[in-house]
Amino acid sequence: MIELSNIVVKFDDFEALHHIHVKVGEGEFFTFLGPSGCGKTTTLRTITGFIEPVAGTVSMNGEDITHVPIEARNIGIVFQSYALFPTMTVYDNIAFGLKVKKLKKAEIDRKVRDIARKVDLSDEQLKKAVSQLSGGQQQRVAIARALVTEPSIICMDEPLSNLDAKLRVQLRNELKKMQREFGITTIYVTHDQEEALTLSDRIAVFNKGCIEQIGTPNEIYNHSQTEFVCNFIGDINRLGDDIVRAMRLDPAKHHFIRLERVRVNCPAHPGEVQLTGTIVSREYYGLYIKYAIEAAGQTVKVIEKNDGVNIYEPGQQVVLGLHPANVMSYDAPVKEA
Amino acid sequence: MQKTARRTPAWLKPELLGRVFFIAFFVYLFFGFMLLPCLNTITQIFTVRTASGEIDPFAVIRFFFAGNMPKFVLNSLKLAVCLVITVNVVGVSIVLLTEYFDIKGARVLRLGYMTTMIYSGVALVTGYLFLYDSDGILTTWLANSLPSFNKNWFSGFNAVLFTMTFACTSNHMLFLRNAIRGIDYNTVEAARNMGAKPFTVLRRVVLPTLVPTLFSLTVMTFITGLCAMSAPTLLGYDSINPEIVRLAGSSVADEAFPQARAALLSIILALFTILLLSILSAYERKGHYLSVSKTKAKLVKQKITNPVANVLAHIYAYVLFVIYMTPVVMIILFAFQNYPAIRSKTLDVKNWTLINFFGTQDYEFMTTRGKLKTRTGAISGLFSNADTVGGIRLSFVMSAIAAALACVIVVVAVNYIFSHRNKKSATVLEYSLLFPWLLPTILICYSYRTFFNSESVWYVLGNNLYMRENVRFLIVMAYTVVKIPFALRMIKAAFYGIDEELEDAARNLGAKKLMTFVRVKLPIIMPSVLAVFALNFNALFTEYDMSATFHSSYGKSYAMVIQNMCAEEGRDGYNVNASGRRCASTVFIMVVSGIILYLVYGVGARDLGERLEAKERRRRRMAKIRNALPRHKKKDADKPAPGS
Repeated sequence: MIELSNIVVKFDDFEALHHIHVKVGEGEFFTFLGPSGCGKTTTLRTITGFIEPVAGTVSMNGEDITHVPIEARNIGIVFQSYALFPTMTVYDNIAFGLKVKKLKKAEIDRKVRDIARKVDLSDEQLKKAVSQLSGGQQQRVAIARALVTEPSIICMDEPLSNLDAKLRVQLRNELKKMQREFGITTIYVTHDQEEALTLSDRIAVFNKGCIEQIGTPNEIYNHSQTEFVCNFIGDINRLGDDIVRAMRLDPAKHHFIRLERVRVNCPAHPGEVQLTGTIVSREYYGLYIKYAIEAAGQTVKVIEKNDGVNIYEPGQQVVLGLHPANVMSYDAPVKEA
Repeated sequence: MQKTARRTPAWLKPELLGRVFFIAFFVYLFFGFMLLPCLNTITQIFTVRTASGEIDPFAVIRFFFAGNMPKFVLNSLKLAVCLVITVNVVGVSIVLLTEYFDIKGARVLRLGYMTTMIYSGVALVTGYLFLYDSDGILTTWLANSLPSFNKNWFSGFNAVLFTMTFACTSNHMLFLRNAIRGIDYNTVEAARNMGAKPFTVLRRVVLPTLVPTLFSLTVMTFITGLCAMSAPTLLGYDSINPEIVRLAGSSVADEAFPQARAALLSIILALFTILLLSILSAYERKGHYLSVSKTKAKLVKQKITNPVANVLAHIYAYVLFVIYMTPVVMIILFAFQNYPAIRSKTLDVKNWTLINFFGTQDYEFMTTRGKLKTRTGAISGLFSNADTVGGIRLSFVMSAIAAALACVIVVVAVNYIFSHRNKKSATVLEYSLLFPWLLPTILICYSYRTFFNSESVWYVLGNNLYMRENVRFLIVMAYTVVKIPFALRMIKAAFYGIDEELEDAARNLGAKKLMTFVRVKLPIIMPSVLAVFALNFNALFTEYDMSATFHSSYGKSYAMVIQNMCAEEGRDGYNVNASGRRCASTVFIMVVSGIILYLVYGVGARDLGERLEAKERRRRRMAKIRNALPRHKKKDADKPAPGS
């Protein structure tokens, strides 16, 4: 569907993207994930044509579109700020792309109303100014505007970051539902790992202008290929020397274990290493409880489901179970001279 | 040539031709109408010919130090320095009294203090003259009640200072008011919480945040004082500008090299302006105290707890109010009085008339030989007096063209500047358009007047642009050039307000650059562009300084006509009601300015959502009225109104 190969982007002397390779399949929900300034938005803007790479090619369905002008690419985009035209009504915002294409009035009207219905915008709302809509409604207008021209791909640049937490979760679900219904190839940019994990078919994790890993949410989370990925996605424990020795792991490497993979006061599984520890503190989240446990000379963070039965008090002695199969190990990075 | 014609080519493409035209236009504008005329003025100073016909580069400068010329410069400086003090005292007072302290009737007070925004320049000065002149209304009243009262108290320096002190507070009302409203009230509360008394809070917390604005206002006031024109001219004070105008019209036969002296004075004025503006911009570059809070609390007005101070503050506020309002009220009242009432300075409800606005009347008078004579149409209203209507029409057309031209030029230029932000050409363009800001308007007008008053300026095809009706073109050009820097600053600010993603979004939806500009960017900046147009038009419509510098009977602006009215009243039985028409003119100007300011700040500031809401409210109101109508009438009301 769309393929980036060997993309290099420079801003003056600063190289923002170093040889990026990505291939996104038809109908796929593909997410660029990474901390701010890692190059994910730059990659997205290279796809839409706002940025021209100094090297590499962007191709769509096998056709090189690296130097095709923005307006001729037929790639829709939903901006972080939504970029709705403030001087136009909701209707005119959605109709803009169709008017540019000089479609007949009746056809424009049909298409606008059609897409508005699909994204749940009423006729009443179409007559309003965008400033009269709520954040969630504005987002739907932005999506409708991007979809109405029937682009082959839709790009979304952190479209949920302007919303409050509750609405963000609600719209995340709606977004996924809409994508499934329209079946459109979607490239999604976010720095929110939870959003990436719940929405995506595949994720590319960016760091400092490079891609660290491309994979399904499960691959990214459970089989992080690099230390950066395993640290960036979810909370994690780095294992200290004592535990590494106890588990007979390679001392030359860095070892990590996810919080939910450490078991507390459970009967030992075959191959599991058991350690005694003391509860240091407790953070109560409702759905789950996070404990900090002092064991083998380090603090181990653990998450326990809040089942109402086993709630430990600070100072209480517990037994931790760690299985080597759950440990992710990486070569120690070479220290720069 | 043939070779290129056969290839046709790249350089004949419309885009490239467009770009060439664009560059040529701005080069022509900058060199032709900004730089060269002013350079000519500078050369005038150094190319003075002595009686023997030799060029003496330093003759004027020697003359300057030997003659009385420093007097004009010193007088202007004296006025500027005094104005800085008085205007700041009054300006800060009126803003604190209406925005910071809890004064009873602050809303009404504010309206009074803002009256200078709807009439300024000649309209204001003639208004003050109407009251305080030796035969002005208030002077006459005072002289009648106090026989020892000096009837000529209102002239020269004191009169200019008094008038300008109250005339120049508009900027305080605009900018200082905004600054004070931007103060985070939590900082005031925090200071009070830590034990500071109200006066300490004002001195230590509030005033320091206003310092940057006050500094800018001080510099602006200083420049206004230096470049004062209408007040010194009408009230008789020997400052730089009226002298330049006098010298420009003088001839070598009467005095030594008047033009070169005028040039020198205007250059001195320019040097002062440049110096002050450099200080200002250096200061602005140092950065401001920015409010660091994310959640600002609205300022709550402070009660003056000390009862004596409270009473004094109220008295002070209302005395200022009376000073601001008296001219306005008197002018409005007397605009509707007939000429005998105005002459005898007595208000009489029975003499209420519209003759100062509309219609003409004959005037009967006794000649010195005892004959009764009738002068037909000697009493005429503002809209029936050929001279006045001519002035209004000319000013209207010239200001509208110039204001529109300035907007178009600046919009095109700013669009270029923004799309070539990192290129040198954008910077060059911006600075060349800001260039007139450094020059006093009088230098520009004087330079035009002398430079284009010849048949040897090749780039205007050898036409003498100062001759006859041509001068109108020259005035329009001067108006445009003078207003470009203001338009640039405002419209550039509007462009900054455009979210860059909007442009990206439009391009992404398939719109080309031109279409993106017309359909997306232009509608967003349109309110600002219209506001700039309206404000520039408003200022130009009643401007006096520039047209007075051109001093041509073919370019007699409305303000010049008003100024003439001061002199010509009743002479030989002509223009009998000139004073009344003058008042009516001021009323007319207030109405026009009031409407423009309402449109700019009231209607123009609404966004699409607010406009749609207002439309919806209107619709509902109409529906309500329709429902309230009796049934048989309802049918008619349901029919759409013509043109709706």
